[in-house]
Amino acid sequence: MTVSETRLRTRLTEGRVSRREPLALRPKKGIALRLKIRTVAVTAAVTPVLAVPSAAAAATVIGSGSSAEQPVLTALFAGYAKVHRNVHFVYTADGGNAGVKDVQQRRSQFAVNTRAPLPSDSRTVQYKLFLDGLCVAVNKANSVSNVRLTRAANIFLGVFTSWSQVSGSGLTTTIDPIGRNSAAGSYTFFQQAVLKGQTQASNVEQLSSDGLVATAIKHDKNAIGYVGLAHAGKSSGIKTVKLNGVACNATQIKSQKYPLTRFIWGVLSLKHPNSAAAQFFDWVRTSSAAGKIVAKSAVPAFNKK
Amino acid sequence: MVEEFRLDTEPTRDSDRRAELMLGALVCLVVVLLLGMFAFVLYQAWPSFSHNGLSWFGSRGNVDSQIQAIFNSGTSLGHEVYAFHGWPLIWGTALVVGGAVTIAFVCSLFVAVFIVEFAPDALCRVLEPVVRLLASVPSVIYGLVGVFVLVPLIGNHLITQGSKASVQGIITLNGYSLLAGVAILTVMVAPVMVAIFSDGLRAVPRGWIEASLGLGINKWRTVWKIGVRTARPAIVAGTVLATARALGEAVMLSMVCGVVSFAPNPADGWIFFVEPTRPLASTIIAFIDDLSTPPMRHTLYAIAAVLLLSAALLSFGGWAAKQPMKRYGART
Amino acid sequence: MSLLELPVSQPGPRAPRAAQSPPWRLIDRIGLAVAWLLGLLFCALAGALVLYFLVQGIKYVRPSLFLTNPSPGFTATATGGFLDPMLGTMLVSAIAMAIALPIGIGVAVWLSEYGRPAALARVAESTIEMIAGTPSIVLALFGILLFESPALGFLSRSSEGVVFGRSFFAAGAMLSLVALPLVVSNVREGLEAIPDHVREASYALGKTKFATTRRVLLPAARPSVLTGAMLGAGRVIGDTAIIVVLLGATLTFDRSGSVPLLSTLRGTGSTLTYYVFYNAPTGEGNQPTKAYAAAFVLLMIVLALNVGVDIATRRSRRLRWSS
Repeated sequence: MTVSETRLRTRLTEGRVSRREPLALRPKKGIALRLKIRTVAVTAAVTPVLAVPSAAAAATVIGSGSSAEQPVLTALFAGYAKVHRNVHFVYTADGGNAGVKDVQQRRSQFAVNTRAPLPSDSRTVQYKLFLDGLCVAVNKANSVSNVRLTRAANIFLGVFTSWSQVSGSGLTTTIDPIGRNSAAGSYTFFQQAVLKGQTQASNVEQLSSDGLVATAIKHDKNAIGYVGLAHAGKSSGIKTVKLNGVACNATQIKSQKYPLTRFIWGVLSLKHPNSAAAQFFDWVRTSSAAGKIVAKSAVPAFNKK
Repeated sequence: MVEEFRLDTEPTRDSDRRAELMLGALVCLVVVLLLGMFAFVLYQAWPSFSHNGLSWFGSRGNVDSQIQAIFNSGTSLGHEVYAFHGWPLIWGTALVVGGAVTIAFVCSLFVAVFIVEFAPDALCRVLEPVVRLLASVPSVIYGLVGVFVLVPLIGNHLITQGSKASVQGIITLNGYSLLAGVAILTVMVAPVMVAIFSDGLRAVPRGWIEASLGLGINKWRTVWKIGVRTARPAIVAGTVLATARALGEAVMLSMVCGVVSFAPNPADGWIFFVEPTRPLASTIIAFIDDLSTPPMRHTLYAIAAVLLLSAALLSFGGWAAKQPMKRYGART
Repeated sequence: MSLLELPVSQPGPRAPRAAQSPPWRLIDRIGLAVAWLLGLLFCALAGALVLYFLVQGIKYVRPSLFLTNPSPGFTATATGGFLDPMLGTMLVSAIAMAIALPIGIGVAVWLSEYGRPAALARVAESTIEMIAGTPSIVLALFGILLFESPALGFLSRSSEGVVFGRSFFAAGAMLSLVALPLVVSNVREGLEAIPDHVREASYALGKTKFATTRRVLLPAARPSVLTGAMLGAGRVIGDTAIIVVLLGATLTFDRSGSVPLLSTLRGTGSTLTYYVFYNAPTGEGNQPTKAYAAAFVLLMIVLALNVGVDIATRRSRRLRWSS
């Protein structure tokens, strides 16, 4: 073993060793070049694809608002797509009041709300679309069938807390009132029409969509809550009560005899109204096809027959 | 012929230097991303903190109605409302997380000791994969179990008419409660702790255990005094990890804890356990749809900032708790 | 042999031989009893949970659920199955792992092979730990800030200058942060377990550090990379908070634009976890049978990933470096 070989062995065992100059292995240039070409090619192919603007063929219209009318709106969007193929609606059900705020802040191009316009809805223009009713519903195990409007108000104000104070219910347990949160148009409508401006009591569970209210009532036999007509149908699993002797159904709402009848409003921005959304609102208001769709879970008001 | 070699202290080749720079840039990017997260979240949260000062953490009035007022004032420029006193949320979080981690810690320690030392072999071989499976189950599934099994149990059997009547008009007792949240969170967090504790216990040098047994100390005492003490860094790590998971749990707790931002009151006696509450993370999920209104946005980001700073404090606390253990040569 | 038995020269008669060990104190007995009790209770609980979901799942899972899309409705037949949510789960975890794996491997390689300056290495380790401890809801809110900014507007839908910010890209990017710490720690462990003489042999043959890493170390650490990837994928599949915030919460794929794959990625959708959340009694859909079925499918996916991790670790244990 030569001296230098011994030195090499010692070095190898002591620390990491590397040669300053590589041996004949120098494939790096070729590999590096090939890699570079591959990267450039891929980037070149991907960039134009990414740069294509979204409105290539279909126009997307973004809306938000009422969850009470979401079933109706979903059916209406599908019906409209049959007539105008190149419009695509995206709808977020965050509550009627939240929808109006979205339009005011230009985050949505249109909104659907379930209460009449208020002074705080500045910078928007609103159109009546169709009729709807806010139904008061209880669990199927609850036998109450008719409630006076003032009694319903007192339940949601926390004045009446036991079912024994409500005639016809057959229960003696504590009432579990369920309502909406303040992002909902239904909340404001209920507050104006039933509570006469007062705030609902703190023991009212505040849920963020009508679907949640219907679900909660279905699972709790002591529950009472308010939902739109679309969520109170036969297959929803909950039972609506008459208010002041008038039932919450399409006939009574159309004749406006039901106390909690309301119009459903379409909201557009005042300064920059979106034309596709405006055309959609027109179609919903007036066309007979839309009238048939609306009649399934709400009440058409202005549509041609 | 042997070429000259020299010790590798610097990257010697251009490609090596380039590789090191690129990878170093990648690491810097990740660090910058985290710092950016802190900066952005705190920046968005600042208006809410500056309007409320320290009373943000205090308690004054109903949190839900404060949030309503904040939302309603959203588009009236100049009249935005920021008043928010989040103590009920913080108290709810502390109760749920503290309760779950405490119970899970005690139970997991005993279970880990059992698995590592005392369980029969067959049981051990079944239990290991089961613990690891449970630790990786998504939290919605635990939430589902809670909603289908635990909440009706509490609602029908633990809540009486009398207790409901005693709080009528203030809140509704229906099974979605603090107890359900703590129970499910314990079940969720325990497998994680058991897995980490048993890893730590297994890493204890076998010679130490055998020496102790050889000295005549009984097995329980050996495992407890020597095994568990040596595994203290792993125990600290497991607890920190479990607490971080519990703090960040939003969806599962929003399913079982109820929909009211209520601060459970210990003075209520037994009803304290069945009162609904809403931890910080669940509050964010509950109001996430209203993110576009500026005051609401700032309030939600303020809640997120509180969560972020708690997680940072937790990491720091874990590191600090391990420092004294380093002195005695415990493996960290 | 206990110490008492060793022959010791003692004056006087030997004391009677004591028992193998002194009798257990009461507190030790109590401790052992508690350990057994809690251990068996834990087994029972784990078994009960697994059995519960197996039974309920088998009761409610139907092949038709895998093939139909969710649709709005009130009854079990009207609401359809979970085809799109399942595809959404796979899509979102593919995006998340596609981002997390390269970055995670890069960071792990830097930490274990380079690591200079030492201060940056310490900062990087703390960063990864901090990311691991961040609640996912905070990551989701940060994601909203990032993806609602105009600079990243091309990654999601936008209307008249306002960026929607919620899309598969956004959710996938934030989920990659959830998976990153797991990938980094596992790959780092795998790389550090390779003994130094392998690296030295490679340098002695003239390979650069980068080539060594790429051709020798990473292939050898493949089981750890697989473990990290699968653990990360497991966490990504199970996360709901980021999905609820960043994926737009539409039950079916809502494409944005007309380019085939890109429109799906820029659009919104849902995943199995969101589907379970939606159909639970506290969600809007309120179809408990669908929730059970989807939960069962989710559990099976997680189980499959866990089995994969087991196989990968067993394979790595078989690789013994001759040192």
